[in-house]
Amino acid sequence: MSKDTVSKLLASFFKEDKTRLSGDAATLMAEMLRIFVREAAVRAQKQAEAEDCDQVDIEHFEKILPQLVGATGG
Amino acid sequence: MSVDKEETHQRLKAAVHYTVSRICQKLGEDYRREFSRQVMAAITETAVRQCDIFSKDLEAFARHAKRSTVSPEDVKLVARRSTALSNYIQSKIEELNQEQSLKKKSTGKRRSRDADEDNRE
Repeated sequence: MSKDTVSKLLASFFKEDKTRLSGDAATLMAEMLRIFVREAAVRAQKQAEAEDCDQVDIEHFEKILPQLVGATGG
Repeated sequence: MSVDKEETHQRLKAAVHYTVSRICQKLGEDYRREFSRQVMAAITETAVRQCDIFSKDLEAFARHAKRSTVSPEDVKLVARRSTALSNYIQSKIEELNQEQSLKKKSTGKRRSRDADEDNRE
C-alpha cells in the first residue's frame, strides 16, 4: 500500500475535517497495515496447513480472525 | 455517503485489495498453498475496517494531546497492545528520525560550504 493510499484511507475515516496526518505517521501506518495484512495471510495459511488443505480458504481465515483483530484492539 | 465519497472509497479499497493479493500471491508461492479469491477479499475487507478503527483511535489520541495532526507518537499508542508490534514500530520511528537527522546534516554541510565559497569570493 502506498503512503498516499493509506493517508487518504485514514483521512476518510476521521470524524473531524481538521484532523491531519503527519508524513511520518502516514509512513508508519502504511507499515502497520502491511503487517496486518501479512499477519492475516500467514495465520490463515498456517490454519490451512494444520488442516492439511491445499488451498487457503475462507473458513481458515474465519478461524484466525478473532485473535487477529483482538491483538490490535478491534 | 455521497456518490463521490463512495467512489473514492471503492478506489481506495481496490488499492488495498491489490496489495493484499500481491502479499497472498507471494506467500502462496513460498508455501505452495494458494489463497482463494474469497479469502483475499475477506482480508481486504478486514484491513479496511481495521483502518476505520485505527483512524478513530489516532484522531482521539491526537486530540487528547490537544493536537489536530496525528504524529508518530499516536501510531505508537495504536500499536501498544502487542509487544512485538510496538517494538517494531519503535524501531521504524528511530529509523525515520535517523534519516531526518542525516538529511539535516547534509543540508547543513552544504550550507556551510556555500558560506565558505561566499567568503572566498
